[in-house]
Amino acid sequence: MAHPAVQFVDVSVSRGERGVLHGVSLSVAAGQTLALVGRSGSGKTTLLRLVNRLLDPDRGEVLVEGLSTRAWNAVELRRRTGYVIQDAGLFPHVTVAGNIATVPRLLEWPAARVEARVDELLTLVGLDPAVFRGRWPDELSGGQRQRAGLARALAADPPLLLMDEPFGALDPITKAELHVEFQRLQRTLNRAIILVTHDMAEACVLADQIAVLHEGELIACDTPARVIVSNDHRVTSLFGELRLKPEATPRGRE
Amino acid sequence: MTELLAFIASHRAEMATRLGEHVVLVAASTAIAAAIGIPLGIVAARRPGLSRPIVGFANLAQTIPSLALFGFLIPLPLIGGIGTRTALVALAVYAVLPILRATITGLQGVPPAVMECAVAMGLTPRQVLRQVEWPLALPAIVSGLRVAVVIGVGTATIASAIGAGGLGDYIFRGLAMVDATVILAGALPAALLALAADAALAAAGHLADPRRRSRRHVVVLGVVTFVAVMTAISGRATSGRADLIVGSKNFTEQVVLGELMAQAIERQAGLTVERRLNLGGTAIAHEALLRGGIDVYAEYTGTSLTAIFKQPPSADSEQVYATVRDRYASVGLTLLPQLGFNNTFAILVRGEDARRLGMKTVSDLAGQLRLKPEATQQATEQATPKATSAWRAGFGYEFLERLDGFKGLSAAYGLAFGDAPRVMDLNLIYRALAAGEIDVTAGDATSGLIGALGLAVLEDDRHYFPVYDAAPVARASTMLQYPAAAAALRSLAGRVSAADMRQMNFAVDGEKQDPAVVVRGFLDRIGGF
Repeated sequence: MAHPAVQFVDVSVSRGERGVLHGVSLSVAAGQTLALVGRSGSGKTTLLRLVNRLLDPDRGEVLVEGLSTRAWNAVELRRRTGYVIQDAGLFPHVTVAGNIATVPRLLEWPAARVEARVDELLTLVGLDPAVFRGRWPDELSGGQRQRAGLARALAADPPLLLMDEPFGALDPITKAELHVEFQRLQRTLNRAIILVTHDMAEACVLADQIAVLHEGELIACDTPARVIVSNDHRVTSLFGELRLKPEATPRGRE
Repeated sequence: MTELLAFIASHRAEMATRLGEHVVLVAASTAIAAAIGIPLGIVAARRPGLSRPIVGFANLAQTIPSLALFGFLIPLPLIGGIGTRTALVALAVYAVLPILRATITGLQGVPPAVMECAVAMGLTPRQVLRQVEWPLALPAIVSGLRVAVVIGVGTATIASAIGAGGLGDYIFRGLAMVDATVILAGALPAALLALAADAALAAAGHLADPRRRSRRHVVVLGVVTFVAVMTAISGRATSGRADLIVGSKNFTEQVVLGELMAQAIERQAGLTVERRLNLGGTAIAHEALLRGGIDVYAEYTGTSLTAIFKQPPSADSEQVYATVRDRYASVGLTLLPQLGFNNTFAILVRGEDARRLGMKTVSDLAGQLRLKPEATQQATEQATPKATSAWRAGFGYEFLERLDGFKGLSAAYGLAFGDAPRVMDLNLIYRALAAGEIDVTAGDATSGLIGALGLAVLEDDRHYFPVYDAAPVARASTMLQYPAAAAALRSLAGRVSAADMRQMNFAVDGEKQDPAVVVRGFLDRIGGF
């Protein structure tokens, strides 16, 4: 029997920089997308950072492929975990191709394979390799940076992808475009994804499961279709304008 | 400007040597500072708790005046002493702060999102430093290096004071001679060197930036580096050729005596002599001699006795010479015969007063002072109508304070002035005396101004003042190695009178002549060289 891709077991963090956590238990199956939703300070980013050991829990443990993160070699764990943040965090002194090639090079792939992989990924995220390979990060638009950041996170074909507000800083049109891309990638790649967002609409569109965090506690974890009909005011207050958006179609696989 | 060009043209070889020394000083000290400042900056940037004390200490070091820093370093073992090594230590101390600061600023300027991604992508701490932090901090570090180098080129001029050479030699020589051309001969190349070094590092900075890497910068950097290395090599080569090195302290008479000994050796012994003139002071010159930084310089027996060997001053010329010679011998130095003049204090009056009143000695002056003020006035009103009722004395501050100065003098001769002596700046006393603002002063027996202003030296007939007979002091080993050089120095014995010395001092200070030219004329005149 396969382990869940990621499993949080009664996890507490008492002094996270971006919020604390109280006894959170949660799991993400391989091939599933989990959205962590909550207001700022609710602990969603803290929870995400436990997965690739940017933080360690004070209590409880996080299992990745059935093995506690503490038992993993941190560097090895991170190299097989893609990580995308708001505004991408691309290395400004390296070209787009160089950024994408970072982890494959750390893994000492042969140069030809790295080159081929860069072109493949650029094409996958919708950037023309001929145009974008040699570009510098500050020559890219916000959406292009986000695509390049995603390509970089996917470079070594990691089984797990962590995304922290990846579409947060984008204008609505670009964001909608990237949502479509993201859904296409989900279908193509079929890997476990944890997506942090404060935007319930985004979560409903992109995730299989939504975990709602409120002041460090997990108050709901269910499919978008069920979360959206919740009566808990702490959950409903997060919807905000969601119900006014006709194009946001909740996903559910029941 | 034409004078400067002429000076540079006539000092081409020496100037290349000094420039080479300067480049080596700055390059080596900056390299040392970078080797300390960059790792320290990396540590400080990671641990904010350590950053404050580290930067604070570097700040503190930066505030020490450079001459004071050299002073602190001279007595220290290993890093201290005299010459290039001490200069390197001091220059490196100054260069550390800008490099350290720039490193911290550069590292702290790396965007947190970039750092987070680097860690999250599985780069080890070392890989984060090498692949992300270092390249991103490099432009800031290079600008810190530029600041350090520009400061270093300036500060290195002071290294000359402790015998490390460099372009500062010209600046100190020019200051001693009050000759702007010579000062400029050091200052202008130093300024150009600073600009060139800054440009070279700017080009290096562009190289460090992968996005602006261009052929042009490689060429600029290559050319500047090549020129710097060649200058340094040629400088080293030139300085390596001399048979012996003559030193001097940093005032005109010393420079003249240094030149005199150098030319005497060159002319009579046919050896090549390097000049390391304008060392910062007695302690520095002595230290340089002990450590072989120089082979010979002229010292005054009274100075050796009191300042170097810490003995009480004495007025017995023969006894002082014998004592000092034995003391020098015990540390491996040879005191050669006296040159012939005594650079002690001299009691000075205006020449016309001396002639009119028939004063030849300090005792004669004491006699004049004992006359009633009315009588003095009567006697002097013809020559100096502005004179008040009494003789007025003015002395330098040091002379008034020293035990062997005014107090002892007035006791020894029973000198009694009506009013307390005025305190004056040493450089002004000669002109104040000539202008009639004061009537008596104590000056330097070999000052060029004595002759030039028509002043008269009253003989110290009771031998109150300690003797300061000038004599070459040399490393015994050098004298054994080059007996011809020792012979040349010996043949200078008794050849330089106080009047000769005054005349040469005036030729350099008053008439702005090149010391080398003045000395050449003197040796031609006295013959035998």
